Amino acid sequence: MEPNARTAETISNLTASDGYEVTAFESLQFTDEIHRLISAPPTDNASSFTALLELPSPQAVELLYSPESSKLIPASPPNVEDFKGNFHFPSNTCLIERDARLSAEVNNSNENEKSKSPESKKLSTNLEKAVKSEPAETESSQPLVSDPTLDKRSIKRKDGENKVKGSTKKSKTAVNESSEDAQKLPYVHVRARRGQATDSHSLAERARREKINARMKLLQELVPGCNKISGTALVLDEIINHVQSLQRKVEFLSMRVAAVNPGIDVNLDSILTSESGSPMDSNFPSLVMPVTWPEVQGNGHRQQYEHQCHFDALQQPVWGRGEVCHNYITPENSLLTYDSSANSATLHANQLKMEL
Amino acid sequence: MPLSSLKPKMRPHSSLKQEFLKKWIMGLQRCSFSKKNMSILERKKAIKFSADIAMASARNGTTCWSRSLISNASKEGSDIHVVEQILGSESDRPAVENKVPTRRASVCKKIVKRSCRIRRRRRRRKCVASAPSSIAKHLVRKRREVLKSLIPGGEFMNEICLIEETLDYITSLRVQVDVMRSLASASVRASE
Repeated sequence: MEPNARTAETISNLTASDGYEVTAFESLQFTDEIHRLISAPPTDNASSFTALLELPSPQAVELLYSPESSKLIPASPPNVEDFKGNFHFPSNTCLIERDARLSAEVNNSNENEKSKSPESKKLSTNLEKAVKSEPAETESSQPLVSDPTLDKRSIKRKDGENKVKGSTKKSKTAVNESSEDAQKLPYVHVRARRGQATDSHSLAERARREKINARMKLLQELVPGCNKISGTALVLDEIINHVQSLQRKVEFLSMRVAAVNPGIDVNLDSILTSESGSPMDSNFPSLVMPVTWPEVQGNGHRQQYEHQCHFDALQQPVWGRGEVCHNYITPENSLLTYDSSANSATLHANQLKMEL
Repeated sequence: MPLSSLKPKMRPHSSLKQEFLKKWIMGLQRCSFSKKNMSILERKKAIKFSADIAMASARNGTTCWSRSLISNASKEGSDIHVVEQILGSESDRPAVENKVPTRRASVCKKIVKRSCRIRRRRRRRKCVASAPSSIAKHLVRKRREVLKSLIPGGEFMNEICLIEETLDYITSLRVQVDVMRSLASASVRASE
């Protein structure tokens, strides 16, 4: 992969310097690359996804070339030392924002350079480098990162992307850019596509729309079942349903925890000292000692379970514990039969059994 | 959002779970759980409350929804000690304070925007149904409103912020659900 990446880089440099052809740019081509990368490690659902959210950072090409890969990929600890640790991983939202920025920037950069596919390919290969965490890439990338022209570009929130194409842009100083501001001003550098309006309002609007679209794509990745849906309204529907179901789950689970323990005696120290990836599953049975079975109040339960009609047990992971706790289920069942909306509620109890 | 808003590092999933669990249990202990005469609803409320605060504090004030959640919780006088317990030495109060003026400012902005929109809507009412794009926009807008009502503090966000917050909120909710579920099932097993 490494030689391919390097040759791709050089190719992109060459094509950029040769001349430019105006081609239509698929604005989300880059985010497609992201999605490909996201789908590559399928093992861990959320952690790898959120880890990959950290990848497309325009902010620091240092990220691309010197990531803290131990955080990105749990399986590659030995590469940590190879990278400079000067980059702080931002929080999730910041990364998403940067991801969107990157996609917008890729859009802009390709507009600027008018060599779209090699550019995005280069960036995507850079991403792949980050994913594979190859330390050797840093040497090839050093000239890009340390490009002196970078200092002159102080684009608002779009520095990293300029760093990437710094060398290529240097070779294109003769390019007349219609809608671009002076290089040294801290403005957004945006290039208008062919046949589109060039006033600042529409440009800003377009940038904003692309940001929103990039984030929506991320959301689609996160929420299961949204990939096949096209259309913002339906996707938003799915997202809303997902959030509501999660909130209902939290309600229900807190009720369950409340029902179980009037006094949970948890050994905090052993929790705090445990380091393994899944400490909770193993530690809990030893730690948690519920004192008594409480008197379950019928009214309270009825109200709670009425809300759980849409409790989607399908999405719940099957826990490794196969046994069903009949002691716990039967009080619930007896309550649920009182319920006016009994059908859904008993179905819910069955789901609960299956889940356990 | 400026470059300087690079926040502290993103924790991997499992350590987020651990942190949430730790804070949640701290909050649970602080809640007056020793009172046996607490009804189950009160217990449930306390559990959920401490879980929410733990989840929000795990974000350390980096996200809008977490700040809004904490500031809402801090308003009620009775539960403030739980909030303090969970937040611990972190001075989350400054973050809370900072949120309020921005909320006011954005609320004012929203009011002005809404008034303009209402005026525009009155003019547009005749031709709304015809254009499919406007129908689509209308649908999307409706759903955005619903999403805003779901995410804590959502009313004060613009679209971009809303989607980011949703992403973060969904991951946090998932962590919460996983931890609570494992706790519940583990306690159930332990009682056998």
